[in-house]
Amino acid sequence: MSSIFDATLLLLLVAIALVVARTKDLLAASIIFSAYSLVLCLLWTHRGAPDVAMTEAAVGAGITTVFFLVAISKTVRREK
Amino acid sequence: MKKALVTALLIIAAIPFLFAAAALPPHGDPNTPVQTGASAYYLEHGAEEAGAENIVTDVILNYRGLDTNGEVTVIFTGFAAAFAVLLPISLIRSRTEPVSELPASPVVRFAVRLLAPFTALFSIYVILYGHVSPGGGFQGGAILGGLFIVLSAALDPARIRRLIPRQAGPWLRAAAPIAFVSMGILGLILTGSYLGFPTSEAQSAVRTGMLIVIEIGIGVGGAVIFATLFSEMEAQ
Repeated sequence: MSSIFDATLLLLLVAIALVVARTKDLLAASIIFSAYSLVLCLLWTHRGAPDVAMTEAAVGAGITTVFFLVAISKTVRREK
Repeated sequence: MKKALVTALLIIAAIPFLFAAAALPPHGDPNTPVQTGASAYYLEHGAEEAGAENIVTDVILNYRGLDTNGEVTVIFTGFAAAFAVLLPISLIRSRTEPVSELPASPVVRFAVRLLAPFTALFSIYVILYGHVSPGGGFQGGAILGGLFIVLSAALDPARIRRLIPRQAGPWLRAAAPIAFVSMGILGLILTGSYLGFPTSEAQSAVRTGMLIVIEIGIGVGGAVIFATLFSEMEAQ
């Protein structure tokens, strides 16, 4: 059961990473990328690393997304 | 043609990785060197010897403290480099043209104001309680920095920027290396080695105190660095 849960999360990570790489709208890509951090955070928690999970949630899903959004708002929204 | 070549190369590159992954010991196997080496010692003695009940904090700040000291310095140097690029432009801009933006919607402002005190309390809890439960200076600092960012994005940015005093700003940004190095020197005075933590039973309060000072330094420094980077990028 536990390994099925892990496998599902890992497959979800790969799927999200592919979607991020293929998305041309950078705003959408940064939001999807924060979902990547969320899934990774679940995986860390399930694997018994709550400290890392907390860092992932605060920095990965929170701060980096904000910096991506600021960078997009100062440049262009669409990838060429 | 090109696509097929890339796919073939990727599959060839994946094969050694998959073989390496298959050769790894099963997750949680008690007989691997990871479990029988230093980790076993940390788990057995960490709580009473290193000053924190959270073993992760023990390893990061005490047993491997010198590594973390280096990391903190690297992060601060990276911030200083980013700041050196960002600051001159924003100094010119903000003096000449005032930024006029649409205010955030009342719903967003209300939600941000409602959540702000709880977020602040949670970040302080994470920083100060990181030596007992999961968390610590970096995590709490990121939450506190995120709070600053949310506040200045939804409310008046100039008012939020004033929360960080101008005079103390540079010192607060360097809080993490300053706290780390001063605790290292305190360890030098107390035990004779840099970042040495006193190990005797009677001095357990001293080593916990040293850990908390480092955590507070990392937390405050991280929060101020995140907030400053955001406001400098906004001002471009």
